[in-house]
Amino acid sequence: MKTFNGYRRKNGTIGVRNHVIVMNTTGELAGLTKKLANLVPGAVPVTHQTGQMQYPEDIQQIYRTLKGTAGHPNVSATLFIGMGQNDPAETIAEELQKEGHHVHALTVQKSKPISVVLNEGRQWLAEAVKRSHLEKKEKADVTELTIGLECGGSDAWSGVTANPSIGAFSDAIVADGGTSILAETPEAIGAEHILAKRSVSKEVGEQFLKIVDEYESRAQAIGEDVRSANPSPGNITGGLTTLEEKSLGCIKKGGTAPLEEVVPYSGKPEKKGFIFMDTPGYDVESVAGMAAGGAQIVLFSTGKGSPTGSPIVPVVKIGTNPKLYKNMPEHIDVNAGKILEGTHNINDIGMEIYDLVMEVANGELTASEKNNHQEFAIWRLAETM
Amino acid sequence: MTYTFEGYQRSDGTVGTRNHVGIVSSVICSSVVVREIAEHVPLAIPFVHANGCAQLGDDFQLTKNILVGVTKNPNLYGSLIVGLGCETNQVSGMLKSIPKTKPTKGIAIQELFGGKNTISEGVKAAEQWAEEAASETRKTYPLSAINVGIMTVDPDESSLHQTAPVIGKVVDRLIDNDVNVIMGMSKTLEPAGQILSKRAPNPKVKQDLHTLSEGMRRGRWEKVQDKTTGLHEWSEEETDLANLEARLTGTKSIDGLLDYGSYPEEQGLNLMRVPSNIVEALSGLASAGCAVVLMVSSRGVFTGSVALPSMTVAPQIEGDFEDELVDVAVTNNDADQQADQVVQKIIDICSGQESKLEELELGEFSISHSGTTY
Repeated sequence: MKTFNGYRRKNGTIGVRNHVIVMNTTGELAGLTKKLANLVPGAVPVTHQTGQMQYPEDIQQIYRTLKGTAGHPNVSATLFIGMGQNDPAETIAEELQKEGHHVHALTVQKSKPISVVLNEGRQWLAEAVKRSHLEKKEKADVTELTIGLECGGSDAWSGVTANPSIGAFSDAIVADGGTSILAETPEAIGAEHILAKRSVSKEVGEQFLKIVDEYESRAQAIGEDVRSANPSPGNITGGLTTLEEKSLGCIKKGGTAPLEEVVPYSGKPEKKGFIFMDTPGYDVESVAGMAAGGAQIVLFSTGKGSPTGSPIVPVVKIGTNPKLYKNMPEHIDVNAGKILEGTHNINDIGMEIYDLVMEVANGELTASEKNNHQEFAIWRLAETM
Repeated sequence: MTYTFEGYQRSDGTVGTRNHVGIVSSVICSSVVVREIAEHVPLAIPFVHANGCAQLGDDFQLTKNILVGVTKNPNLYGSLIVGLGCETNQVSGMLKSIPKTKPTKGIAIQELFGGKNTISEGVKAAEQWAEEAASETRKTYPLSAINVGIMTVDPDESSLHQTAPVIGKVVDRLIDNDVNVIMGMSKTLEPAGQILSKRAPNPKVKQDLHTLSEGMRRGRWEKVQDKTTGLHEWSEEETDLANLEARLTGTKSIDGLLDYGSYPEEQGLNLMRVPSNIVEALSGLASAGCAVVLMVSSRGVFTGSVALPSMTVAPQIEGDFEDELVDVAVTNNDADQQADQVVQKIIDICSGQESKLEELELGEFSISHSGTTY
């Protein structure tokens, strides 16, 4: 059994990083949140412009994402900055405290000068960073790992090299008792029947077909066709011709294991094994959703070269072709292009990915971490009011 | 008397209140690179946001329009567009839509083989503009050379009773001095469309304002079967409050009603539909060419825009507490006198005085969605 050393949390989960983060609950406070995080070395701002004047379906999804991010196993402590009476900061903080997380809510008020707010926040964060340095790692095995599977800036090689290699990895970790999450619902369009057939039950299969169908209808409801804009301009220059072709390549990341469960955006899987999460194909939003759902590491294949990461989870970049690896080595962790050169096969790269995942779980930094890529965005379902 | 201020004239003839070089991200994927370039170049400010890819139709067009509009903002000497390469919002497409009247250049991470190269290329280009911009000096221009944005934040009855008489007069004075005013029309003002429509000479504007007063329409896509959920009829309370808020717009004729992400065609007083998200609304006003924004609020506001000075007008809090976020605190004293004070403050800030939010370096940028991402 493969093992790694990680940070055991009070709720039993295990983290592969030990971040101290600051989050805003409403867009108005994003600037203040960044300003505060900048005062304390080691504190990471996780900001967004959602949470203000939105429909309930969005509010629900945003709060689930904020809570999942703040209570993530890779996070040692979270400071929420909120304002006003209906702000969720206090409630989310209390819920997470009950689960044993180190979380605090700071509410800005009319009568409280900003210098006081910044001072209070800085003190709490400085303590939290100090506290995080004292936390010791302990041994855990691969059954406790959840790995997100993403692709972005795909080209015609994605479905030939990197994605099948990720699939080989996914099958291996699932066979070892771990968990992998495939996502990007619109990139299952045209290939949904293949995944549905692999579901453990009729219900799971139907649930999966339903979210794919809803995604396409959601676009049609505003008079648009997902297939018209996807593949993107970069995908097309990369050699992809249709969404079906992109999808057939995309789902290769899911390997061949049975589909155990379908979870909503930022939802936590109850089962282990191979899971599907309903997310957009938009990389940063999708990665943020899988992270909020508990993935400790995300694998991300790219053909054109995409540098993005996450503020809380290491993102491992797998390049689909040798040219990309040669041109943009600073952004790529694994060169699946070796398959095209004939020196390695899909299984070799799958195992190389698995070995790297264990090293990253042990603390080795990924390319996106080294370059400070900490992009964060939450999928929106409706217009801001 | 004609209002004048000290500003910077741009190569396209517009006049700005600040002297920035814009580093504009075409997509979220280049935001880290954009921030790094901006950190290395004096006068540079980063425009980063969560949009730019996996967007469809109108939603994509909106993102592109706002970004193109921002590059035209008179507070920018020039703009460097930084893309990734494979995104929906292509740099080449943006460059086609940006008039070649100010320094503009586009670069992309994939074309330059990585973030490090892109940062050094970007810094090189932006540094040269920053040097040129730094040699510009403020000169005296009539205030009518700029667009002034005005928007409300959390308006309530008691605050509007104090702010509306003053701001109404401010707007009238600006219009009398040929200053273009773009007034944010968010959901709190929409129910007043009926009474505002009486001041619109243009029949189309009249009709559009009337339609807004029928109820709130916003797109939502989760329950695709039920498209009518987008319409919410205004309550009497909402309408009463809106009619009060309408007094902020003064008494002059309403010359245009703009959509979010569009540019004014008419001189004078324009209303612009904006979301209730403060940063998104400010970005819309910046994109429509405003060089300064006045936020009329019931309280101190915690965010401005990176693109322009944002100043806050709110009621004076009782006691001797001075809100460090408020630029002008209004009272029940003489409205004419206070209107003069607000206009003077606008002129001072346009001439280089920092607003409270600028002092605190609280400025953000963000673009609304009119559709879901894919």
